[in-house]
Amino acid sequence: MSEESKNNKKSENSKGFVLPGDLLETKSKPGKGIFRKDGRVYSSVVGYSNDRSGYMNVNAIKGRYNPKVGDKIVAICAETGPSVWRMDIGAAFNSTLHHSESGWKVPFGDTARFLSIGDAVWAEVFMVDAAGSHQITLKKDDCRKLYSGTVVKVEPTAVPRVIGKQGSMITAIREKTNTRIQIGQNGFIWIDGKGEDISKAQKAMETIDREASSEGLTKKIEKLLEK
Amino acid sequence: MAGQTDMELIKDGVRLDGRKPDELREVKITAGVLDNADGSCYLEWGNNKIYAGVFGPMECHPRHKQKADRAIVQARYTMAPFSVNDRKRPGLDRRSSEISYIVSQAFEKVVMVEEFPKASIRVDMQVVEAHAGTRCAAMTAASVALADAGIPMRDMIPACASGKVNDVVVLDLNKEEDNYGQADLPLAIIPSTGEVVLLQLDGHLTPEQFEEAMDLATSGCMDLYKIMRDALDKSYGGKK
Repeated sequence: MSEESKNNKKSENSKGFVLPGDLLETKSKPGKGIFRKDGRVYSSVVGYSNDRSGYMNVNAIKGRYNPKVGDKIVAICAETGPSVWRMDIGAAFNSTLHHSESGWKVPFGDTARFLSIGDAVWAEVFMVDAAGSHQITLKKDDCRKLYSGTVVKVEPTAVPRVIGKQGSMITAIREKTNTRIQIGQNGFIWIDGKGEDISKAQKAMETIDREASSEGLTKKIEKLLEK
Repeated sequence: MAGQTDMELIKDGVRLDGRKPDELREVKITAGVLDNADGSCYLEWGNNKIYAGVFGPMECHPRHKQKADRAIVQARYTMAPFSVNDRKRPGLDRRSSEISYIVSQAFEKVVMVEEFPKASIRVDMQVVEAHAGTRCAAMTAASVALADAGIPMRDMIPACASGKVNDVVVLDLNKEEDNYGQADLPLAIIPSTGEVVLLQLDGHLTPEQFEEAMDLATSGCMDLYKIMRDALDKSYGGKK
């Protein structure tokens, strides 16, 4: 590596914006978005480094949803089998929803009567294995099939911005557009209400997704919705 | 390759397009230009124009290509029919399948494939206009697109060719130099470690010239790496 690119990397580092392969100066434990080589920590994605909370993390700007047990998500049925549904959750692989996790009494081979392709559910991830496959369940808390409404997709990395600090952003959108909204950790957002209201909320979501890393978003969205 | 010509491709250290022997053509990179792909990049390198798009990680098809312990990179290099002077028959041919294959191999070295067992990462490179050096340009564009897609990697891969014209070793051949020159050496490296992930050679070089060409291509790659970093910095770094 040339001396110049080393210097380049350091200056990037101080800004918090890092690219794959950038050295991260830290004594914290390795977190996500990083890899280790020869005892040192490097960024593996394009994103912002974060050395708080005792872990060295790099929050990626983009990327597919990485399912975690306990995440509440919106899933869309992609395929039906005799006793399972294959659900699109925006991850690398489709997730499995087994009939025994649905809460319905499903006769063998009759899955499509309960959930057919394109139907959305509000579900929870309850199992993720090392091979990358995962299962979701409808048998928790408020999990259910989502009737009517529409599903908007944003980057999973933009979900914290859609929610806002203590839910400030989502509360504002709900109140201003008079819609029902469920935000999945996977970046799928279910919106229900009057047609006009839905498209208003949808526009807000798209704006947040596009400008996820800029400041003063809540104010901007409030202004957009007042129009 | 190694075509015969009376054309003076380099005269008093100045090439046909006015460049010095160790000078790159102008490179412009823009990340995140396509909405539908997970990650994308548009690159202009001299008169080369290339789009790269990345999808994934996603389920690998055909299933027999899946690896139980890691992801595979499925790269696809294609040239548009209008990218060259004589209309190119669309679709994969011998040359583009070869390039697709070596590019896949190169990217499997940097992408953290072990994080996504059984998955596939699809990299599509479309040459819209070709003017020599498209495999390097396509790889460079694909690297930026992979980073743009948020796919974990150890580093980005810059790729750049060097070659020989009129017995002078030069960096980044243009169309005339490629057609009538004596050698062409495309090279791709991992900048942080200096590892070579792609190396080909068409034509003849003496061992000394080979060393010189390698050094030149390596320094070209490092210059390119900086341009790639700036492109991503420009697209995403200014925010927050």
